[in-house]
Amino acid sequence: MNNKFTKELVDDLASKLLIGLSFEENKMVLDEFAIIDENLSKVENIPNIETIEPMTHTLDDFIFTLREDEATSSIDIKDALRNSDATEGREIEVPIVVGGDN
Amino acid sequence: MGKYKAVIGLEMHCELKSNSKVFSSAKNSYNETPNDNISAVDMAFPGTLPVVNKKCVKDALKMSIALNCTQPEYMYFDRKNYYYPDLPKGYQITQMASPVGVNGHITIECNGEKIPVNIHDIHLEEDAASLDHYYDTSCIDYNRAGVPLLELVTEPCLHSALEAVAFLEHMRSVYKYCDVSEADTKKGQIRCDVNISIMDYDATELGTRVEVKNINSFGNVYDAINYEIKRQSELKDQGRYEEIEQETRRFDEESGTTIRMRSKADAIDYKYFVDPNLPKFKISPEWLEEIKKEIPLLALERKEKYMNELNLSDYDAGVIIKEREYAEYFESCLNIGIDAKIACNWLTTQILGEINKLEINIKDFYLTPSLLKQIIDEINKGTISSKQAKEIFYKSLEEKKEPKTYINSDMAQISDNDELETIINKILEESQTQVEQYKNGKDNLFDYFVGQVMKNTRGKANPVITKEILNKKLNN
Amino acid sequence: MNKSIKELHDSLKKGEVTSEDLIKEALEKSHDINAKYNAFVTIIDDAKPTSLTDNLLSGIPFGIKDNYSTKDILTTGSSNALKDYVPFFNATAVQKLLDAGAVPVNKTVLDEFGMGGTGTTGHTGIVKNPWDPKRMTAGSSAGSACAVALGVYPYALGSDTGDSIRKPAAYCGIVGYKPTYGMISRYGLFPFASSLDHCGVLTRNVLDAAIVVDTMKGIDKNDMTSWDSKDINLYKSINGEVKGKKLCYIKELCDLNNYENPTEELKSHLNNFMDKLEIFKKLGIEIDCVSIPKNLLDALPSVYVAISCAEATSNLSNLTGIIFGPRGNGKNVTEMMMDHRTKGFSPLIKRRLVIGSYILQKEQQERYFKNAQRVRRLLVDAWKKLYEKYDAVILPVGSGPAKHLDGSKDILTKDTAPLEEHLQIGNFGGFPSITIPDGFVNNLPVGLNITGNCYDDANILNIAYALENAMEYKNQIAKEVR
Repeated sequence: MNNKFTKELVDDLASKLLIGLSFEENKMVLDEFAIIDENLSKVENIPNIETIEPMTHTLDDFIFTLREDEATSSIDIKDALRNSDATEGREIEVPIVVGGDN
Repeated sequence: MGKYKAVIGLEMHCELKSNSKVFSSAKNSYNETPNDNISAVDMAFPGTLPVVNKKCVKDALKMSIALNCTQPEYMYFDRKNYYYPDLPKGYQITQMASPVGVNGHITIECNGEKIPVNIHDIHLEEDAASLDHYYDTSCIDYNRAGVPLLELVTEPCLHSALEAVAFLEHMRSVYKYCDVSEADTKKGQIRCDVNISIMDYDATELGTRVEVKNINSFGNVYDAINYEIKRQSELKDQGRYEEIEQETRRFDEESGTTIRMRSKADAIDYKYFVDPNLPKFKISPEWLEEIKKEIPLLALERKEKYMNELNLSDYDAGVIIKEREYAEYFESCLNIGIDAKIACNWLTTQILGEINKLEINIKDFYLTPSLLKQIIDEINKGTISSKQAKEIFYKSLEEKKEPKTYINSDMAQISDNDELETIINKILEESQTQVEQYKNGKDNLFDYFVGQVMKNTRGKANPVITKEILNKKLNN
Repeated sequence: MNKSIKELHDSLKKGEVTSEDLIKEALEKSHDINAKYNAFVTIIDDAKPTSLTDNLLSGIPFGIKDNYSTKDILTTGSSNALKDYVPFFNATAVQKLLDAGAVPVNKTVLDEFGMGGTGTTGHTGIVKNPWDPKRMTAGSSAGSACAVALGVYPYALGSDTGDSIRKPAAYCGIVGYKPTYGMISRYGLFPFASSLDHCGVLTRNVLDAAIVVDTMKGIDKNDMTSWDSKDINLYKSINGEVKGKKLCYIKELCDLNNYENPTEELKSHLNNFMDKLEIFKKLGIEIDCVSIPKNLLDALPSVYVAISCAEATSNLSNLTGIIFGPRGNGKNVTEMMMDHRTKGFSPLIKRRLVIGSYILQKEQQERYFKNAQRVRRLLVDAWKKLYEKYDAVILPVGSGPAKHLDGSKDILTKDTAPLEEHLQIGNFGGFPSITIPDGFVNNLPVGLNITGNCYDDANILNIAYALENAMEYKNQIAKEVR
């Protein structure tokens, strides 16, 4: 078991994901992760595992084409906004965003 | 030269020109009306998927080639994960593992000196939405979300604010020469992050690196770098160098200073991973070859050619290559047989003066190279004087009529040798005293005779032929 | 509505029934069963009949899993995070069915965003097994499996990231088919794990699955991972000729001796499977027993969790309550987004997202995420090697019939057997994979699965069709047995 995986770390990860966890939820993550960690530890013992190229895409044996640079008309503004709980004019409104961005 | 050696690295983001966005088919163009160039993909409605724009990939590869980078065998993209209201998906599609270009190098010019710059990488990514801030709310406009961006990262190999700006200017020129971007800072199309550290000249290890993020003009890049060098130098002078932290700051335009945003400890883990929605795309050598052919001769290469092959001065060549359109105008002139020096003189003085005054693109300038040639041909033929040529130039511009409309018989110079000789003989006969004085060594009287001929012909005598005849008569 | 698509089409053609009649029956049945089994998020009461065309699906009702975007119809992903979301566009697969004249009559319950295998985590409550309401349907295509098994309509759309079509199909005694990755566009399907997500269908016989996927499939300019399959016609290529076909099953999964204390259900399930293999051999099919390294099979569930959770962490980042979904409360934007997500996600999702986030951390990526992707490749390569010699791998689905609801905890536990999880290989490799019912254990249906090589869908369906005809469970309708 990776001892770095602690309750505090779980809470920190959750808060970075913008998710609040209850005490029980936190514990369940820890328990579940112990199993995954144990299993993936076995993976590390597969000979020369590091030489295998990670499989990032499901299919990589067909030729696909890139999109031609043609613009289509904008979606209807009513469609764009109709599922938002807070809009102002043609825009979506949020509490003021302060500070730097990324 | 400062007391310490400054080490500067740049990250330059530049918006690419295209009809549609990089991962959606919404229009890529600046739009005053909020949310008028948007698709479901740009707003990350559930289930929407990115689809890569071929032109953006091509232009990114073009720049990669232009910067002498190595291109990957396969093109794919990564997700950069973070939460911010201007990022609808909660991740930005960018390139981390396999950028369109790595390990490039170029040479730039700064203060007449050639400086090598190493390029760490260049990659294709998408822009975020823009936020309009009000009293206690912000409004989100997704027009910019998904606009193609090229991010170029240099190695920390620049050493002054001047060099940094020279690099940015150089790159701006490359983007424009390659026609992949308008590269207009006024439209916010270029944004920069700058890394700055200082070190003793004899030190071997780099100092603590401070990053200043999101600077939107070259002037501010210049000021931010100089401010940071000064700030860091002062701390080092005071023996407080350890107070400099590896941190991210932002430039405050009003005060001309940089302000701390976050330290390295608070750095965001972007949890990059390969985006499975965008399959690996094989970049064929044939396609790269095709793209390479589309790269024009760049500014500095043209400058050297003009200086070495056409004997233009450093200054003149520099003016002509400033914009690709100027160079193209110049080269069109050469192609239709106008002499390089003459074309250069007209371009750098009259023409650029006019287009700056009119604030127009040289492409929209009425006097195209072939119309300009009508004037120059007449001078060469000796039909008109250079003074008359200029008059015709402005008149033609003003009335938007071809120059040849203004070239008439009345204007024609007297170039006929016999006719001129008769006139000159008559003048010399009437000026015996002056001829005597000239022959006794009063050389400046030569201009007097020329003046007399001009006066007699009301300025229509061809000055070259006039001088030739006078020379023959007086100096033999 | 208990009939096959072809039978319904013929009835419509002969004028024995109208599209209107079929819709009315499907809607009535939907209301009837929903009270008891909770299969639907939305019943589309104003569904309109369509005219009969040559397309076999025209005029016939069907169900749509509630993670497919449907224009102007509530689409929730069975999550509180999108409980009021009404898309303004149709998923490509849905649009193709509408274009063919098919009539959606309800949106079916799933495990929240497809992230679960029990049918118990949807925001509208637990979906119950139509054979025994004390048991689960499995998931995540829970409502679709339940409704098709009960004969509400001949087919319903499902999606499959680990086994989300193919396991509930087995537990409900029906057919579940997910074609090769990219054969059906994912545009408009709410993503769970993009490299594993597949669209597919639940039906009561193999031919119906072929008919529906023939209409759903096709290259889509909105999904770069979709490919051109215009040369493939599944329905027409099924002829039942299987003489000389080669299948294999995996010793480590099917041999009872590999299990320390097998339950009676597991024993019957495996014995039933082996008995059925003997029947299939009589069709002229060659069936071999092959071996796969145990360490690879043991790693399978964790590889799945690592990859699916990691991708999900990122895929669900658009759920912030800003553009869609209920606004959260909070002093600032961050608090607002956090409130939305905390209230919007069930505990299961939260746990998976946190795990995914841990796995993707810069310091952990190599050990967890990339190693998982490496083992994924090893497993896929092992299966592709089998396909050099065999047409398909045939295996029992799960460790028996549907599990009891009261014992359900959708947590990865140490004794999670590779037998429960092997269908995930089909997602790792993007392989075409179909589950068909193969009998009963304790009077409850069980299933077997056939998984073949990419793009070989026609061959796989043809084998499934032959096996289905060699048994007597085709077109069965669920009836409560206890």
